[in-house]
Amino acid sequence: MSTTTLSPTGSPAGPAVDPTADDVRLTFGRVVASEWIKFRSLRSTVWTLGITFVLMVGSSLLMAAGTVGTDGGIGLPGASIITFGYYFGQLAMAVLAVLVISGEYGTGMIRSTFAAVPTRLPALAAKAIVLAVTAFVVSMVSILVSWLVTYRMLEPLGLAADLTDPETIRVVLGAGLYITAIALFAFALGALLRHTAAALATVFGLLLVVETVFMALPQAFFRNVSPFLPGTAGQRVMLPEEVLEMTDPGAIGPVLGPWEGYAVLVAWVVVLLATAAVLLRRRDA
Amino acid sequence: MIEAIGLTKRYGAKTAVDGVSFTVAPGKVTGFLGPNGAGKSTTMRMVVGLDRPTGGTVTVNGRPYAQHRSPLREVGALLDAKAVHTGRSAYNHLLAMAATHGVATSRVTEVIEMTGLEPVARKRVGGFSLGMGQRLGIASALLGDPRTLILDEPVNGLDPEGVLWVRNLVRYLAGEGRTVFLSSHLMSEMALTADHIIVIGRGRIIADAPVSDIVGRASGTTVRVRSPHATRLVELLSGPGITVTSSEPSSLEITGTTAQAIGETAASAQLVLHELTPVVSSLEDAYMSLTQDSVEYHSTTTGLHPHHLGAHAATTTPEGLAR
Repeated sequence: MSTTTLSPTGSPAGPAVDPTADDVRLTFGRVVASEWIKFRSLRSTVWTLGITFVLMVGSSLLMAAGTVGTDGGIGLPGASIITFGYYFGQLAMAVLAVLVISGEYGTGMIRSTFAAVPTRLPALAAKAIVLAVTAFVVSMVSILVSWLVTYRMLEPLGLAADLTDPETIRVVLGAGLYITAIALFAFALGALLRHTAAALATVFGLLLVVETVFMALPQAFFRNVSPFLPGTAGQRVMLPEEVLEMTDPGAIGPVLGPWEGYAVLVAWVVVLLATAAVLLRRRDA
Repeated sequence: MIEAIGLTKRYGAKTAVDGVSFTVAPGKVTGFLGPNGAGKSTTMRMVVGLDRPTGGTVTVNGRPYAQHRSPLREVGALLDAKAVHTGRSAYNHLLAMAATHGVATSRVTEVIEMTGLEPVARKRVGGFSLGMGQRLGIASALLGDPRTLILDEPVNGLDPEGVLWVRNLVRYLAGEGRTVFLSSHLMSEMALTADHIIVIGRGRIIADAPVSDIVGRASGTTVRVRSPHATRLVELLSGPGITVTSSEPSSLEITGTTAQAIGETAASAQLVLHELTPVVSSLEDAYMSLTQDSVEYHSTTTGLHPHHLGAHAATTTPEGLAR
């Protein structure tokens, strides 16, 4: 601490903020800008997004390489090969999504956030927007890069995805939308639980354990509930027609269309975010 | 201007703040004093809406904090030096805070210079010392050039130079007509810094008066007497409302009467006095006597015999509790 430059005669107010200026005030756009600064100025953001990209592109490359070795492919359409990395991508993105909010609770930053935005909801909404846009852009970029780097391998097999085909567009866009919704789902849980480990355990436990077990159990109850769980329902939007036609006839429980399934996931997100919003207003920071 | 009316905060069965009402006026430094757990921080947090009051209201410049269009222009608060993400640099933290209100980037640089943070501004906050964290908290509080400043233990962890700097800063800000509300457990610091003092104990306001009144209230009531005839003098003086404590055989601390009365009594009995001193209590003593009953966690003072427990020994109790 070498310099302490305040002289009692110099104005601590300074010229930068004019007391009569009307433009220094809280607006939603500015809260979004603030959340963007916070988002990009943490190493955890760079790391998780980088890992998401590497995992998504890497998985597609491996899948494409594996397909090349087989005769005529392994029955997976090109759109599914380039979106194959979604599974790891959603997990890395969920970590980032939880950290966006639980990291503030863990460090105490949330008190600075709420002191600056005392109505609180704009801060929550701004975080959700920054996260959703980033999740969508990064997952779409990862998928398009996957398409580029696997094109030469898949083209000779006739498996290169035609990005002008409506069905392929649905699958590719669906993968980006699915990861985005899962990110918001994890974010809402982070806001509800306010604790990184608790929120991550819940998200991973649900996506990796609960949904898998529900899908496997034969009882009618599990068969009827399983299609409506967030991951299982949401993933339908990115399953190609071939896969749906293959799996659906054997289904015992309800069968949701691709967009119906996605709507169910969105409903989960909306309910959780609304609950988080209500509690955010009520709780002490 | 901060106005609290019947402000109450309960955590389950525990009442942290119990119907406090007070006004913090602009143009002066108001000190907020009380033992740990008295409700200082909770009260300050309720002012800026971080904690929801169980009952009562608190307004800043006539409105609840959250209803202001430009909250950071109204109140700059240092409530917790750790209210910063440890993975972010000080500069980016301030930049993000400034962005919410459209405060110019030049102002961010300015508060960094004012608080002497330039050498560490680009470093991550996780590695900051307590003093650096405190300076960053003060920088955040000043960011919006607020009309009201709320500083919870601002000199905590600062070096002597930093303490002096904070003192000059808050005096200067109050001199500009701003409202300054700060808590501190350093009584001597408060005596030098504050104009007005609000004392809180166990969630209730114990005193709310100018510094001079608080000191005056506890002054002049104790007289220190040294006399070889101490025992005889005590016999002559004993009466209703008069208490005598003794730390050594020839020395007395007498309350409930005046130095004049004691001197006259001694003279008429022809007793020799070696000392007759009205004890002017410091702000520290005044604070201790005010909060003695409201210290929530009494520490046991070991190794002191009851007859040694004069006014000075008593001060060790809350001192030991101070953070």
